This record gives sequence, structure tokens and C-alpha cells, in this order.
Amino acid sequence: MNWRNAFLVALVVLPLMALLAFGFGRDPRRVPFALAGKPAPDFTLTTLDGKQVTLSQLRGKPVVINFWSTWCEPCKVEHELLQQAASFYGSAAHFLGVVYQDDEAAVRKYLESRSNRYPQLLDPGTRVAIDFGVAGVPESFLVDADGVVLERQAGVVTAPLVRAWLDGRVDGRTN
Amino acid sequence: MKRVVWIVALLLLGLAAAPSLRAEDDEARAHRIGMLLRCPVCQGMPIADSPSDMAQAMMKRVRELVAEGKSQEEILAYFAERYGEWALLEPKAEGFTFLLWILPPLALLAGFVVLRAYARRLPRAAPPPQSAPPEAEETSDPYLRAVRREVDG
Repeated sequence: MNWRNAFLVALVVLPLMALLAFGFGRDPRRVPFALAGKPAPDFTLTTLDGKQVTLSQLRGKPVVINFWSTWCEPCKVEHELLQQAASFYGSAAHFLGVVYQDDEAAVRKYLESRSNRYPQLLDPGTRVAIDFGVAGVPESFLVDADGVVLERQAGVVTAPLVRAWLDGRVDGRTN
Repeated sequence: MKRVVWIVALLLLGLAAAPSLRAEDDEARAHRIGMLLRCPVCQGMPIADSPSDMAQAMMKRVRELVAEGKSQEEILAYFAERYGEWALLEPKAEGFTFLLWILPPLALLAGFVVLRAYARRLPRAAPPPQSAPPEAEETSDPYLRAVRREVDG
């Protein structure tokens, strides 16, 4: 094979290999984080206590929004961690739970035996979950003090992750 | 008079049926748009065909947007804004996706050019010899000799 043929083969094979590497390097089922850096979709939802919470009224402090449900086992794993984080950051940050495709009675029963330090919101019609591009639970978002969506975690949140999200974005912790 | 009554009755029937016809039209539109949107919890399935709760919720949103008078492009853009171009089962031929549209015909063209160049470089097949057919070889087989005699006369 002369140099000309080798060059032609490389011209065809290398881009194909690059394309395949790009394709195999991505999980086709992973839903992209389309809201990154965009203003958070505003919502007004009702808590289990019947109070209304509007996201845009929480500006000035970072907000962690956690979509969860009682039928989701990983959600139960992160529940206690998020409760501790809410307690740790106190009034320096907001935490919101959004119930995802679940029965209100089941949620009430679940929370009866567990600590709950932040508002749990009902999302009829899964409208807010769709607005945030949620594809399953647990899924969590960090909205900064200006109302911009900065981070998303599709899966269980961890303590280091919550610290990375909030440390440096809160003015001070008030227990 | 009887004819006028019939015409009025038909008109009234048409007016009564109009909302249901429109609703059916809206449902058909919603289904068509739902066929273009990927279900986020299934494997490559459109939300219109998926029985999952998430897909059903998304279909409900599609129906609401159709009822609000939004166009197909606006509804697809609504979901693409939230789930990215990933949500579109027929992504637009823009950016990286453009490569997916343009590469197959380009590869086909390149293959054709390479084959043509290769075919030109192949040596042409030699023409068949024009010489007379060779004389039959002499054989010592008496049966074969007898057959040849019969054939040649």
C-alpha cells in the first residue's frame, strides 16, 4: 500500500473511529441537563400543610429542589441526608421536596415516621417535573440566589455533593 | 317547507357535531406530536406509544398545549427546551446532528468514487483468441475413436 492509499484509508477510518468513540462514550438513555445556566422555571405549588410556595419568591438564597417519591428506594436513602443538610445550612439555603407521581396519602404516611425539615410540595399532573426536564427520581437541582439553575443530580445526592453545591454559595450557616 | 326543515335540521346537527370533530382533530394532532417526542423513561419509544406514567403526563401536557393553540414546532421546542434535542425523535439537522444526516450520503458517494477509481486501474480483460479450434488429439481409446468417426462422418 502506497502513502496515497494509506492517506485515503486514514481519511475515511479516522473520522469514523472518532464518531464511534463519541457515540460509545455517551449513554444514549441519559437525559441531557438542558436547563444548565438557564433561569429556573417558576412555579407555585402547595405543600402538604396547604401552604403555597413560589420559587421566584425564594430569590436571594440558593435553593435545592429534590424530586422524590415513596415508591423510589434510592429516594429513601437520600431523604435523611437531605434532612441533615437542611438542618446544617439552616436559613442560609432553601430546601424543597417535590413529590413525583405519588399518592398524597402515601407521602403523608411515609413522612409521619421520619423527620421533615423543609416543605414537601405536591405536583399535580407532574407539570413542574416536566418543566425541570425530570426523567425519573431521585433527581435534584441547585438553583442559585438569582434563580438560575446551576446543577443537576440524576440519582442519589451525597454529602460531598451537597457541600460542593452550597459551600461558598451561602453567606453563613445558621443552625 | 319540508325541505327547509330538513336543511335547518342538518345545519343544527352539523353545529352540534363541530366541537366533537374539533376535539378529535386535536387528539389526532396531539398523537402525531407525541409520536415525535421521546419517552424519557423508555428505550427510544415515543410518548404517544408508551404506557409509562411519565409519558402519559407528557402526553397530557402535549394535549394542553394543543388546546392552547400552540403549533407543532412550538410544542416540540417546549420539550426540547426542557429535555434537550434528545427529546426529539427526529432531531433538526443542525450542529452535530447535521453530521448524522450528511455522513451517510457522503460515505456512499466516497465509496462510489473509490470503487470507480479502483475499477479504472484494473487491467482490461484480454480478448478471446481468434485462432481456429485445435485439432482433436489422437487417442488410443478405440471407443473414443469410434465415436469421433461417427460424429465426423
